[in-house]
Amino acid sequence: MSPEEQISKLLRLKRHEQPPPGYFEDFLRGFQARQRAELIRRPLWEIAWDRMASFAPAFQVPRMAYATVVALAVAASAMIVVHPGTSVSSGPLAANRSTLSLTSPQPVTIGESVPVTMTSTGSPSVHYVLPTRPVSYASSRSF
Amino acid sequence: METPETPDEELVARTQAGDARAFDRLVVRFSPRLYGLVYNMTSNHEDTNDLLQEIFAKAYRSIKGFQGKSSFYTWMHSIAVNMAINFLKKRARRMTMSLDDVDNGIANDPEFIEATSDFDPRHQANLGELQKKLNEAMMKLSEEHRAVVTMFDIQGMPHAEIAKILKISEGTVRSRLFYAHRQLQNYLQEFITT
Repeated sequence: MSPEEQISKLLRLKRHEQPPPGYFEDFLRGFQARQRAELIRRPLWEIAWDRMASFAPAFQVPRMAYATVVALAVAASAMIVVHPGTSVSSGPLAANRSTLSLTSPQPVTIGESVPVTMTSTGSPSVHYVLPTRPVSYASSRSF
Repeated sequence: METPETPDEELVARTQAGDARAFDRLVVRFSPRLYGLVYNMTSNHEDTNDLLQEIFAKAYRSIKGFQGKSSFYTWMHSIAVNMAINFLKKRARRMTMSLDDVDNGIANDPEFIEATSDFDPRHQANLGELQKKLNEAMMKLSEEHRAVVTMFDIQGMPHAEIAKILKISEGTVRSRLFYAHRQLQNYLQEFITT
Protein backbone atom coordinates (compact mmCIF):
# COMPACT_ATOMS: atom_id res chain seq x y z
CA MET A 1 0.00 0.00 0.00
CA SER A 2 1.44 3.37 -1.00
CA PRO A 3 1.97 6.12 1.61
CA GLU A 4 -0.78 8.12 -0.13
CA GLU A 5 -3.24 5.24 0.27
CA GLN A 6 -2.22 4.75 3.88
CA ILE A 7 -2.89 8.40 4.62
CA SER A 8 -6.32 8.14 3.04
CA LYS A 9 -7.03 5.02 5.07
CA LEU A 10 -5.90 6.71 8.29
CA LEU A 11 -8.11 9.70 7.56
CA ARG A 12 -11.10 7.45 6.93
CA LEU A 13 -10.81 6.37 10.56
CA LYS A 14 -12.11 9.78 11.49
CA ARG A 15 -15.50 8.82 10.06
CA HIS A 16 -16.04 6.89 13.29
CA GLU A 17 -15.84 10.02 15.40
CA GLN A 18 -19.46 10.65 16.27
CA PRO A 19 -21.19 12.76 18.91
CA PRO A 20 -22.76 11.03 21.92
CA PRO A 21 -26.05 9.13 21.35
CA GLY A 22 -29.13 11.36 21.33
CA TYR A 23 -27.07 14.39 20.32
CA PHE A 24 -29.01 15.10 17.13
CA GLU A 25 -32.44 14.97 18.82
CA ASP A 26 -31.17 17.45 21.41
CA PHE A 27 -29.63 19.51 18.66
CA LEU A 28 -32.98 20.02 16.94
CA ARG A 29 -34.60 21.06 20.22
CA GLY A 30 -31.73 23.48 20.89
CA PHE A 31 -32.07 24.92 17.42
CA GLN A 32 -35.82 25.45 17.79
CA ALA A 33 -35.30 27.18 21.15
CA ARG A 34 -32.69 29.43 19.59
CA GLN A 35 -35.02 30.32 16.72
CA ARG A 36 -37.77 31.33 19.14
CA ALA A 37 -35.32 33.41 21.18
CA GLU A 38 -34.12 35.15 18.01
CA LEU A 39 -37.69 35.92 17.05
CA ILE A 40 -38.21 37.76 20.33
CA ARG A 41 -34.97 39.72 19.96
CA ARG A 42 -35.72 40.86 16.41
CA PRO A 43 -35.79 44.64 15.85
CA LEU A 44 -39.21 46.26 15.35
CA TRP A 45 -38.49 47.47 11.83
CA GLU A 46 -37.71 43.90 10.74
CA ILE A 47 -40.97 42.60 12.16
CA ALA A 48 -42.87 45.47 10.51
CA TRP A 49 -41.20 44.76 7.17
CA ASP A 50 -42.07 41.06 7.38
CA ARG A 51 -45.68 41.86 8.22
CA MET A 52 -45.91 44.23 5.28
CA ALA A 53 -44.40 41.59 3.01
CA SER A 54 -46.88 38.96 4.21
CA PHE A 55 -49.79 41.43 3.95
CA ALA A 56 -48.93 42.21 0.34
CA PRO A 57 -47.11 39.17 -1.04
CA ALA A 58 -46.81 40.77 -4.47
CA PHE A 59 -44.93 43.70 -2.96
CA GLN A 60 -41.32 43.15 -3.85
CA VAL A 61 -38.82 45.88 -4.47
CA PRO A 62 -36.44 44.85 -7.23
CA ARG A 63 -32.82 44.85 -6.14
CA MET A 64 -31.86 47.38 -8.80
CA ALA A 65 -34.44 49.84 -7.48
CA TYR A 66 -32.34 50.53 -4.40
CA ALA A 67 -29.28 51.17 -6.53
CA THR A 68 -31.28 53.49 -8.83
CA VAL A 69 -32.62 55.50 -5.89
CA VAL A 70 -29.14 55.86 -4.41
CA ALA A 71 -27.69 56.87 -7.79
CA LEU A 72 -30.41 59.50 -8.28
CA ALA A 73 -29.85 60.88 -4.79
CA VAL A 74 -26.10 61.14 -5.42
CA ALA A 75 -26.68 62.84 -8.79
CA ALA A 76 -29.12 65.33 -7.25
CA SER A 77 -26.68 66.12 -4.43
CA ALA A 78 -23.89 66.63 -6.94
CA MET A 79 -26.05 69.06 -8.97
CA ILE A 80 -26.81 71.09 -5.84
CA VAL A 81 -23.15 71.21 -4.82
CA VAL A 82 -21.91 72.18 -8.30
CA HIS A 83 -24.68 74.84 -8.90
CA PRO A 84 -25.49 76.28 -5.47
CA GLY A 85 -27.43 79.30 -6.95
CA THR A 86 -29.01 80.26 -10.24
CA SER A 87 -27.26 83.06 -12.09
CA VAL A 88 -29.39 86.01 -13.36
CA SER A 89 -26.76 87.42 -15.67
CA SER A 90 -28.93 86.65 -18.68
CA GLY A 91 -32.60 86.24 -19.51
CA PRO A 92 -35.64 88.40 -18.77
CA LEU A 93 -34.68 88.98 -15.14
CA ALA A 94 -31.40 90.54 -16.24
CA ALA A 95 -33.27 93.27 -18.12
CA ASN A 96 -34.94 94.46 -14.93
CA ARG A 97 -31.80 94.11 -12.88
CA SER A 98 -31.26 97.82 -12.46
CA THR A 99 -34.83 98.48 -11.39
CA LEU A 100 -34.96 95.47 -9.05
CA SER A 101 -31.68 96.26 -7.41
CA LEU A 102 -31.67 96.94 -3.71
CA THR A 103 -29.50 99.96 -4.48
CA SER A 104 -32.26 101.42 -6.60
CA PRO A 105 -32.41 105.25 -6.38
CA GLN A 106 -36.21 105.13 -6.15
CA PRO A 107 -37.50 106.42 -2.81
CA VAL A 108 -39.03 104.09 -0.29
CA THR A 109 -41.67 105.69 1.86
CA ILE A 110 -42.45 104.21 5.21
CA GLY A 111 -45.34 105.22 7.39
CA GLU A 112 -48.06 106.10 4.91
CA SER A 113 -49.81 104.53 1.96
CA VAL A 114 -48.22 105.32 -1.33
CA PRO A 115 -49.68 104.24 -4.65
CA VAL A 116 -47.57 102.10 -6.96
CA THR A 117 -46.35 104.38 -9.72
CA MET A 118 -44.76 103.85 -13.09
CA THR A 119 -41.38 105.37 -13.90
CA SER A 120 -40.82 107.45 -17.00
CA THR A 121 -39.29 104.43 -18.71
CA GLY A 122 -42.49 102.45 -18.18
CA SER A 123 -41.07 99.92 -15.84
CA PRO A 124 -42.58 99.69 -12.41
CA SER A 125 -40.60 101.20 -9.58
CA VAL A 126 -40.44 99.44 -6.28
CA HIS A 127 -42.37 100.90 -3.35
CA TYR A 128 -42.89 99.33 -0.01
CA VAL A 129 -46.51 100.03 0.89
CA LEU A 130 -47.17 99.92 4.59
CA PRO A 131 -50.49 100.48 6.30
CA THR A 132 -51.00 103.70 8.18
CA ARG A 133 -52.06 101.88 11.31
CA PRO A 134 -49.97 99.14 12.85
CA VAL A 135 -51.42 95.69 12.61
CA SER A 136 -52.46 94.31 15.93
CA TYR A 137 -54.06 91.07 16.98
CA ALA A 138 -55.66 92.81 19.92
CA SER A 139 -59.31 93.58 19.46
CA SER A 140 -60.00 97.26 18.78
CA ARG A 141 -63.40 97.00 20.45
CA SER A 142 -63.78 97.55 24.10
CA PHE A 143 -66.75 96.49 26.15
CA MET B 1 -47.76 14.22 2.91
CA GLU B 2 -44.36 14.20 4.55
CA THR B 3 -42.26 11.06 4.23
CA PRO B 4 -38.62 10.40 5.06
CA GLU B 5 -38.02 10.39 1.30
CA THR B 6 -39.51 13.82 0.73
CA PRO B 7 -37.04 15.49 -1.65
CA ASP B 8 -34.94 18.36 -0.35
CA GLU B 9 -36.41 20.67 -2.98
CA GLU B 10 -39.94 20.12 -1.70
CA LEU B 11 -38.89 20.78 1.89
CA VAL B 12 -37.06 23.90 0.76
CA ALA B 13 -40.12 25.18 -1.13
CA ARG B 14 -42.31 24.57 1.92
CA THR B 15 -39.81 26.38 4.16
CA GLN B 16 -39.78 29.30 1.74
CA ALA B 17 -43.57 29.37 2.00
CA GLY B 18 -43.29 29.71 5.78
CA ASP B 19 -43.49 26.07 6.99
CA ALA B 20 -40.91 25.97 9.80
CA ARG B 21 -41.49 22.23 10.32
CA ALA B 22 -40.21 21.54 6.82
CA PHE B 23 -36.97 23.23 7.81
CA ASP B 24 -36.82 21.06 10.93
CA ARG B 25 -36.85 18.04 8.60
CA LEU B 26 -33.91 19.53 6.72
CA VAL B 27 -32.07 20.08 10.01
CA VAL B 28 -32.61 16.44 10.98
CA ARG B 29 -31.51 15.30 7.53
CA PHE B 30 -28.38 17.43 7.27
CA SER B 31 -27.09 17.75 10.82
CA PRO B 32 -25.20 14.41 11.01
CA ARG B 33 -23.33 15.10 7.79
CA LEU B 34 -22.62 18.73 8.61
CA TYR B 35 -21.60 17.72 12.11
CA GLY B 36 -18.90 15.49 10.59
CA LEU B 37 -17.74 18.27 8.31
CA VAL B 38 -17.54 20.92 11.04
CA TYR B 39 -16.16 18.60 13.71
CA ASN B 40 -13.32 17.42 11.51
CA MET B 41 -12.45 21.02 10.76
CA THR B 42 -12.60 22.27 14.37
CA SER B 43 -11.68 19.09 16.33
CA ASN B 44 -13.79 20.39 19.18
CA HIS B 45 -17.27 19.25 20.12
CA GLU B 46 -18.43 22.48 21.81
CA ASP B 47 -17.29 24.63 18.91
CA THR B 48 -18.95 22.24 16.48
CA ASN B 49 -22.24 22.43 18.35
CA ASP B 50 -22.24 26.25 18.46
CA LEU B 51 -21.16 26.56 14.87
CA LEU B 52 -23.76 24.07 13.66
CA GLN B 53 -26.50 26.11 15.36
CA GLU B 54 -25.24 29.25 13.64
CA ILE B 55 -24.99 27.50 10.28
CA PHE B 56 -28.63 26.35 10.37
CA ALA B 57 -29.77 29.73 11.69
CA LYS B 58 -28.04 31.45 8.78
CA ALA B 59 -29.46 28.96 6.29
CA TYR B 60 -32.98 29.58 7.66
CA ARG B 61 -32.57 33.36 7.39
CA SER B 62 -31.22 33.10 3.84
CA ILE B 63 -33.43 30.35 2.47
CA LYS B 64 -35.80 32.78 0.74
CA GLY B 65 -32.86 33.81 -1.42
CA PHE B 66 -32.06 30.20 -2.38
CA GLN B 67 -33.02 29.95 -6.05
CA GLY B 68 -32.08 26.34 -6.69
CA LYS B 69 -29.19 27.13 -9.03
CA SER B 70 -27.21 24.50 -7.12
CA SER B 71 -28.56 21.62 -5.06
CA PHE B 72 -29.63 22.39 -1.52
CA TYR B 73 -26.93 19.95 -0.40
CA THR B 74 -24.23 22.02 -2.14
CA TRP B 75 -25.72 25.28 -0.83
CA MET B 76 -25.81 24.02 2.79
CA HIS B 77 -22.26 22.68 2.58
CA SER B 78 -21.05 26.00 1.15
CA ILE B 79 -22.53 27.88 4.09
CA ALA B 80 -21.04 25.36 6.54
CA VAL B 81 -17.52 25.37 5.06
CA ASN B 82 -17.35 29.16 4.74
CA MET B 83 -18.59 29.71 8.28
CA ALA B 84 -16.22 27.06 9.63
CA ILE B 85 -13.23 28.62 7.83
CA ASN B 86 -14.13 32.10 9.12
CA PHE B 87 -14.59 30.72 12.62
CA LEU B 88 -11.21 28.96 12.51
CA LYS B 89 -9.42 32.09 11.35
CA LYS B 90 -10.97 34.06 14.23
CA ARG B 91 -10.17 31.29 16.70
CA ALA B 92 -6.56 31.14 15.53
CA ARG B 93 -6.22 34.85 16.21
CA ARG B 94 -7.94 34.55 19.58
CA MET B 95 -6.16 31.58 21.10
CA THR B 96 -4.14 28.48 20.55
CA MET B 97 -6.41 25.53 21.07
CA SER B 98 -5.24 22.75 23.31
CA LEU B 99 -5.31 19.52 21.40
CA ASP B 100 -5.68 17.66 24.68
CA ASP B 101 -9.31 18.74 24.44
CA VAL B 102 -10.01 16.62 21.37
CA ASP B 103 -12.69 13.97 21.60
CA ASN B 104 -11.12 10.65 22.61
CA GLY B 105 -14.40 8.85 23.04
CA ILE B 106 -14.06 6.54 20.06
CA ALA B 107 -10.85 4.80 21.11
CA ASN B 108 -12.95 1.97 22.54
CA ASP B 109 -15.46 1.94 19.70
CA PRO B 110 -15.44 -1.63 18.21
CA GLU B 111 -15.87 -0.26 14.69
CA PHE B 112 -12.86 1.98 15.16
CA ILE B 113 -10.76 -0.86 16.58
CA GLU B 114 -11.71 -3.10 13.66
CA ALA B 115 -10.92 -0.37 11.16
CA THR B 116 -7.46 0.11 12.63
CA SER B 117 -6.62 -3.60 12.62
CA ASP B 118 -4.69 -3.28 9.34
CA PHE B 119 -2.15 -0.95 10.88
CA ASP B 120 1.11 -1.73 12.56
CA PRO B 121 0.38 -3.90 15.66
CA ARG B 122 2.74 -1.75 17.72
CA HIS B 123 0.13 0.96 17.53
CA GLN B 124 -2.92 -1.18 18.21
CA ALA B 125 -2.39 -0.82 21.94
CA ASN B 126 -2.82 2.91 21.83
CA LEU B 127 -5.65 3.85 19.55
CA GLY B 128 -6.27 6.95 21.59
CA GLU B 129 -2.83 8.16 20.65
CA LEU B 130 -3.51 7.47 16.98
CA GLN B 131 -6.68 9.49 17.13
CA LYS B 132 -4.91 12.33 18.89
CA LYS B 133 -2.10 12.31 16.34
CA LEU B 134 -4.62 12.32 13.50
CA ASN B 135 -6.38 15.34 14.96
CA GLU B 136 -3.11 17.13 15.61
CA ALA B 137 -1.99 16.50 12.05
CA MET B 138 -5.31 17.81 10.72
CA MET B 139 -5.05 20.95 12.83
CA LYS B 140 -1.62 21.70 11.39
CA LEU B 141 -3.11 22.03 7.92
CA SER B 142 -4.39 25.41 6.74
CA GLU B 143 -8.17 25.87 6.97
CA GLU B 144 -8.58 25.57 3.20
CA HIS B 145 -6.51 22.36 2.99
CA ARG B 146 -8.32 20.90 5.99
CA ALA B 147 -11.68 21.58 4.37
CA VAL B 148 -10.67 19.70 1.22
CA VAL B 149 -9.22 16.76 3.16
CA THR B 150 -12.33 16.57 5.34
CA MET B 151 -14.68 16.51 2.39
CA PHE B 152 -12.65 14.16 0.22
CA ASP B 153 -10.96 11.69 2.57
CA ILE B 154 -13.32 11.68 5.53
CA GLN B 155 -16.68 12.39 3.94
CA GLY B 156 -15.93 10.70 0.63
CA MET B 157 -17.18 13.50 -1.62
CA PRO B 158 -16.08 13.55 -5.28
CA HIS B 159 -13.73 16.28 -6.51
CA ALA B 160 -16.46 17.87 -8.62
CA GLU B 161 -18.79 18.31 -5.65
CA ILE B 162 -16.00 19.82 -3.51
CA ALA B 163 -15.17 22.21 -6.35
CA LYS B 164 -18.80 23.38 -6.49
CA ILE B 165 -19.01 23.84 -2.72
CA LEU B 166 -15.78 25.84 -2.52
CA LYS B 167 -16.38 27.60 -5.86
CA ILE B 168 -12.93 26.62 -7.10
CA SER B 169 -11.79 24.46 -10.02
CA GLU B 170 -11.39 20.70 -9.78
CA GLY B 171 -7.70 21.23 -10.51
CA THR B 172 -7.37 23.40 -7.43
CA VAL B 173 -9.13 20.74 -5.36
CA ARG B 174 -6.65 18.09 -6.57
CA SER B 175 -3.70 20.37 -5.98
CA ARG B 176 -4.82 21.19 -2.42
CA LEU B 177 -5.31 17.49 -1.73
CA PHE B 178 -1.86 16.66 -3.03
CA TYR B 179 -0.12 19.19 -0.79
CA ALA B 180 -2.29 18.35 2.21
CA HIS B 181 -1.53 14.62 1.87
CA ARG B 182 2.16 15.35 1.61
CA GLN B 183 2.05 17.40 4.80
CA LEU B 184 0.05 14.67 6.57
CA GLN B 185 2.60 12.04 5.53
CA ASN B 186 5.27 14.04 7.32
CA TYR B 187 3.20 14.44 10.47
CA LEU B 188 2.07 10.81 10.58
CA GLN B 189 5.27 9.10 9.51
CA GLU B 190 5.31 6.74 12.48
CA PHE B 191 1.95 5.25 11.38
CA ILE B 192 3.02 4.67 7.78
CA THR B 193 4.93 1.61 6.63
CA THR B 194 7.19 2.06 3.65
